[in-house]
Amino acid sequence: MIPPLEEVYSVVMASLSFRARVPTFDANVGVGHLHDQPAPFETPDQLLEEMQRHGVERALIYHRHGESISAFEGNRLLTRWAAEKGPFTYQWVASPDRESMKQLGELHRDGRVSSVRLHNIQPNYAPFSDWIYGELMEWLQAERIPTWISLAETPAAELIEMLRLFPDLVTVFVGAHYVHAMLVRPLLRNQRHSYLELSRYEVLGELEALKEEFGAGRLIYGSYYPRFAMGPMLYYAHHMGLSQAELAAVCCGNLEKVLGGEG
Amino acid sequence: MIDGNMVIDFHGHVGRFEIFLAFDDPDTMVRAMDLAGIDKSCLFNIFHPDGTLGNDLTASFVARHPDRLIGFAYVSPTMPGRMVPELERAFDELGFAAIKLYPPYTPYNADHPVWDPVYGFADERGLAIIVHTGADEEPRFLGAAAPRFPGAVFIAAHAGNSEPYRTQCVEAAQRSPNFYVETCSTWRTPGAIEGLVEKIGADRVLYGSDTALMDPRAQIGKIITADIGDEDKRLILGANARRLLRL
Repeated sequence: MIPPLEEVYSVVMASLSFRARVPTFDANVGVGHLHDQPAPFETPDQLLEEMQRHGVERALIYHRHGESISAFEGNRLLTRWAAEKGPFTYQWVASPDRESMKQLGELHRDGRVSSVRLHNIQPNYAPFSDWIYGELMEWLQAERIPTWISLAETPAAELIEMLRLFPDLVTVFVGAHYVHAMLVRPLLRNQRHSYLELSRYEVLGELEALKEEFGAGRLIYGSYYPRFAMGPMLYYAHHMGLSQAELAAVCCGNLEKVLGGEG
Repeated sequence: MIDGNMVIDFHGHVGRFEIFLAFDDPDTMVRAMDLAGIDKSCLFNIFHPDGTLGNDLTASFVARHPDRLIGFAYVSPTMPGRMVPELERAFDELGFAAIKLYPPYTPYNADHPVWDPVYGFADERGLAIIVHTGADEEPRFLGAAAPRFPGAVFIAAHAGNSEPYRTQCVEAAQRSPNFYVETCSTWRTPGAIEGLVEKIGADRVLYGSDTALMDPRAQIGKIITADIGDEDKRLILGANARRLLRL
């Protein structure tokens, strides 16, 4: 049941400026330049400055080179970019090639893997099929490693067929757009341990509807910065009529649980 | 109201689009407006080429919340003989306030002479025309039309969405004082709003959401969280639209 407006009126927009009013942990921040798109920041301090402008205290960071070109190299670059402490938590990029899987296995043995994200699927070259990704997906599910999958970069039909084989994989769907609107509910319904990262999903009233159906515990704030600006979806989350506890969960608590193995 | 300023959403749709779960429910729309501090939303229906059916649906929709919703007229050059008579009806009988055009639903880019009767109508009456732009309708076409009708205001919806189309908007605006941009887009590129304000000026940038495809709260967040001054935000969020719509 959507609460009446007067019950949430305290959060109605009243100012020309905005900062998060709960502890906030951004679940989706890329660092480093892309081969075809330089980042608007080059140093941890510059990223921190942008985070602080919006009241974001922590960020889960991956290297964009890993997402789009080489998971192996991107993961190496990530370790050079900033210390994994304080405001930053590392997220490694996973690819099914031998070297990348070996690298990931070693990081996991060292206790350094709290989540991974799949590199961008290249459907024209290697479809998201169990023939190619099966061993990696098997391992991620068995080890209960939370896996970020970009809806923007993964063909929907291949994704559905793959997830049918791995129903217990802890999954965070990122970058959903309104073109994915018909897909989001079935994904959350059928993938038991799955979450929706919010960065681009903004169909009118849909986030409230998803909260009603699945609970605020399945929604995670992420910005997809610097692909997208950091502030708008954080602002939206603060104006959904969520209770303080729900808002804190969406902005931070749900991500902490997923990374802590409670997903 | 935000900080005592009227807020106007310049871009919204009447009409259902189930494949995207975009439902034009007026109560959901107004609730989202309330939560975002939006006073008025401008709406149009682009799904019917005759203009008449869609404009009537828009008028009925607006009538549910006449103090909150503003109708814009839609016509299409795929039925060219209907355009001007329908615009006259929409403005003189339905009380609409501006015009929306959608070139991707036609075979014609925005600089094609087939649109001239619409532009001439707006030119004579001093009206604003908001026109879809993006990869599927490059803003340079609208930019070519704008100088020929100085009495009309041409607004590039989505400000081109992404590069290089955003830059085409900037170039058109720098050439023509009657060329404006509107900001709704799921391409929320960092620095995009700041760049438009710097290169065009905040007095020619309009906030819009594309509701119900996009929620007005995320889109207004793009303006509120941009690294621009409060006076720029006031202009973008409502003052410019008030001026153009004579509210």
